[in-house]
Amino acid sequence: MTLSTMLSAMGEGMLRSCAIFFLTILFSMPLGMVIMFLRRSRLRLVSAITKVYIAIMRGTPLMLQLLMWYFGPYYLFGMSIRGYRFPAIIIGFSMNYAAYFAEIYRGGMETIPQGQYEAAEVLGYSKTQTFFKIILPQVIKAILPSVTNEIITLVKDTSLAFTLAYNEMFSLAKQIAASQTSFTPFIIAGVFYFIANYAVAFIMERIEKALDYYK
Amino acid sequence: MKKKLALIMAMMLIPASLMGCGQGSAAGAAAEPASAESTVAADAGAETTEGGGAYVFLDEDLGVESYAIGFRVGDEELAETVSGAVQALVLNGTYDAIGEKYPEIKDYLCLKADDIDASTLPAEGSGDPSFTFKHGFDLDYPPYSYRQDDATVGGFDVELCQAVCDYLGWGYEPVPFNWDAKDMELNAGSCDCIWSGFTKEGREDDYTWGITYSNNTQGILVPADSDIKTLADLSGKIVGVQTATSAYDMLEDSQKELADTFAELRVYETYTIAYNDLKAGAIDAIAIDMTAGSFLIADDKA
Repeated sequence: MTLSTMLSAMGEGMLRSCAIFFLTILFSMPLGMVIMFLRRSRLRLVSAITKVYIAIMRGTPLMLQLLMWYFGPYYLFGMSIRGYRFPAIIIGFSMNYAAYFAEIYRGGMETIPQGQYEAAEVLGYSKTQTFFKIILPQVIKAILPSVTNEIITLVKDTSLAFTLAYNEMFSLAKQIAASQTSFTPFIIAGVFYFIANYAVAFIMERIEKALDYYK
Repeated sequence: MKKKLALIMAMMLIPASLMGCGQGSAAGAAAEPASAESTVAADAGAETTEGGGAYVFLDEDLGVESYAIGFRVGDEELAETVSGAVQALVLNGTYDAIGEKYPEIKDYLCLKADDIDASTLPAEGSGDPSFTFKHGFDLDYPPYSYRQDDATVGGFDVELCQAVCDYLGWGYEPVPFNWDAKDMELNAGSCDCIWSGFTKEGREDDYTWGITYSNNTQGILVPADSDIKTLADLSGKIVGVQTATSAYDMLEDSQKELADTFAELRVYETYTIAYNDLKAGAIDAIAIDMTAGSFLIADDKA
């Protein structure tokens, strides 16, 4: 196998890894917001259930969760899982990352002093206005470094999709390494991941700078 | 201060990355001629590799096993149809023709035209054309099923299964899966069979078995200049094996006494890593089946 065949095969895998990455970000970040609100709910039952959810998502390996999401519908309800492989991967990743994002968001919310809510109320802001105009902009600034961490972890975690035999980049690296008895695919994979993460870090740094409007 | 630190780190990174590139491009450049060579060497059969190569199999082996097609328990009819079609392919020569392409497997193919009763086999094109046969296999298992030199999916089992579908008039759908999840995939119906150098021994009751189309021998791979010449010499040595393979199962079961004499039985995720450890001298031997082992040493491009 020539290096260019190897690169083009792995490039295709890279596209699949990117699909997992972007779809997971797209679904998990808003979902994390919802979970954060449920977690902070004044209704004891709601916040207790959310707590259990977060505990399960953070307390079990993502690999196991992916297997559950894919095979669960068949083993629990006898449903056909034909063509469900990719959706299962996206659901598994999104649900897992949403739990982490929810906790990051919650940490950001906790940094806002009670006084700000009171001041906003005095100034006649509604609850929605207070959240979107006063609280959220500050929270976003506070949580950006943690979110960057999480996103970088996600780039590397996409390789876990091999559990469900989805041919993303690392699965391909393993397959090519097996057939060519060579370490080269792993080196290429490392370079790919590094470049992707460097891009993520670069973009996130730009966003952080753009939001740094008080300096 | 920060600038200096950054400079030092960058300087450390440059040689590291250069080393990586060097290995990569060297291996890539060497790939083409090496593959031509290895085909020649492998064509001559397993005996030659035992003589001249840098790695050889011990004369003593661990045991023989048979590769068959595994179906869901109760899928007797499907198993019978597919097995019949495989036998028909033996009669019309397709089976041997595919075998010719995979020199590591050729000597282990066990179906012979003389032993087959042609009257009971399904006729060509007798299958339901609307049926798609889902072939479940592992893509990490050369030469049975793997990513070939042009990065497409192939291997002996893949070609034979395709030929079976062509013969019967079925559609063919490849379902590469994660080997550890093979039973879940089969039971959940995402594939109709496990057909990927799949060992029958020890699993007789877990599946409805189709025809045994290949034999294989589990052996011990050592460096040619090693002082290990017999199985007894393995005492106190470190032996590598891939997880969830028959070699591993044998060392845990029928060859347990032998395994107990090892200093360590090191279990790897893939044979690729085990082989690199052997080359680096970190382990003394690898327990592996003969066909996969021949592929490993013949196809080495690193």
